[in-house]
Amino acid sequence: MTRLLSIFWHKLGSINLTVALCLLLTADLVWGYFCLNRRTALFTPLNDMGLIAWMQTYGINNLLFTGWFFLLLTLLTLLSVNTFACTTSRVVQLLRAKGPGGGRRLALKLAPHIMHYGLIVILAGYLCSYLFTEVLTSSTLAPGTHLSLPGAGGQVSLLAFEPEYYQGQRLAFWKDEVISPKARLLLSDGASQREEMLSCNRPVRFQGYSFHLIDFAPKSLGGMKMKTRIDLNIRKDPGVGLYLAGMALFSLGLFFYVYDWIVYREAHK
Amino acid sequence: MMTPQTVFQAAGALYGLALLGALLPGKRPLLVATFLVPALVCNLLVVGLRYHQAWPMLPMHLGPVALPLCLGLLYPFTAGGECEQDQQRMVRRTLLGLMVFLVLAGLCFPKDFYLPFLKSKTLLAHGFLWFGVIGKACFVFSAIWALAALAANRQAYAKHRLTVALQQSLRWAVWGFALWTVSMFNGELWSYLGWGTPVVWEDPALTLTMAAWFFYACYLHLHLTRSWNPPARALYASLGGLTILALTCVPDLGPFRSPF
Repeated sequence: MTRLLSIFWHKLGSINLTVALCLLLTADLVWGYFCLNRRTALFTPLNDMGLIAWMQTYGINNLLFTGWFFLLLTLLTLLSVNTFACTTSRVVQLLRAKGPGGGRRLALKLAPHIMHYGLIVILAGYLCSYLFTEVLTSSTLAPGTHLSLPGAGGQVSLLAFEPEYYQGQRLAFWKDEVISPKARLLLSDGASQREEMLSCNRPVRFQGYSFHLIDFAPKSLGGMKMKTRIDLNIRKDPGVGLYLAGMALFSLGLFFYVYDWIVYREAHK
Repeated sequence: MMTPQTVFQAAGALYGLALLGALLPGKRPLLVATFLVPALVCNLLVVGLRYHQAWPMLPMHLGPVALPLCLGLLYPFTAGGECEQDQQRMVRRTLLGLMVFLVLAGLCFPKDFYLPFLKSKTLLAHGFLWFGVIGKACFVFSAIWALAALAANRQAYAKHRLTVALQQSLRWAVWGFALWTVSMFNGELWSYLGWGTPVVWEDPALTLTMAAWFFYACYLHLHLTRSWNPPARALYASLGGLTILALTCVPDLGPFRSPF
């Protein structure tokens, strides 16, 4: 039984399987490009409605254009299992063998394996994100209005929209348009309250939710008179920490790997 | 009047002359440099003009303009090493030919009519673009060295020449993979900060970016584990590499427009 398990483990971590999976992933993603390019609208809801709901609606009913995505999920799952088995076997071998150079050399030898574990953590983070994220879409705030966060008892109000308008000459098409939208939010949890500035690419975090600025009005100084409002994408994403940690781990491994490449392999040629 | 279009035309003509100089028999590095340096200056100017019209936001679809520039700037790195002179010459000629082709594609199928968008006003967006372009340039070098390895396979002293050229191809692929990964991480961070999700499914180009990443991850595994023989690896990296790189250029190309 143990021998059978050992054979199965080695088959699972086979490098030939890695190569085959990478090739299939490449081909599948190229196929995905053409499907996504022709039917972008089918995939847009994936950002907000979660993986399961999307698969049961858009996914299953448009298999001609979404089939590649189901295949992608299968291949990525197989790749994760294959990577874990292969990397763990190699790491155990490395830790058992006592080579020259001490801890520093060992760290450099472990670099590719750190990257492999990083990839698994990133993929796990994505899966977690697409399975468990709570999304409050199209949440609009006008000055003086507020939003209540479900379950947490928190409230978010828009105190003021304080945009910066482009006043230069260089970007003619941007003249008098908003170049930096800034919304001052008041976040209160019943016991205390604080102010935060929300902008493009600068989300605000509160009670486990992140607030992302999606749209706003008015967009220009002299344009159509529109009431002041901001549209938010509010998300509670349990996977974000995981995939950010995976990216940090992968980057660390990559740094060691490139360092090893330059210092040892290139220098000792 | 000096527009990015006219300066890019000038860059294309100068790249073409540099290619003709490289195709002449014998070593003519000075002649090539005479045309290549002003071509790079023109190309840099086009990038500068496009940035001038967009900064602090990201100029849209800059790839076809930025890639020849990066290839040109990396051109001196084709020299040296253990490679034979004729291999280096072949690599340089192929590289210059590819640069001319890229400029022509950029001139005939420009996609410079999109205005920059507000969410691209972050260093992560610029990092995403530039790490990606430099990474792609490294992949192009890797593919060209693999082509040289394939050609070497048919000549005398084939084994040594093939090994040396494949080693060069691997070196460039490692750098390309590192930079491509950094570019993808920049894109994912930008996507999270701007939209709250690591992948924005409105952009089909992301699938090709991932495809290229898996393609080169596979190439590195093939090299490091020696699971395919050298000619098969050279074929994979050259023809496969050029195909996947051509595909990653497709989203940056627009409808046909006469270059004159």
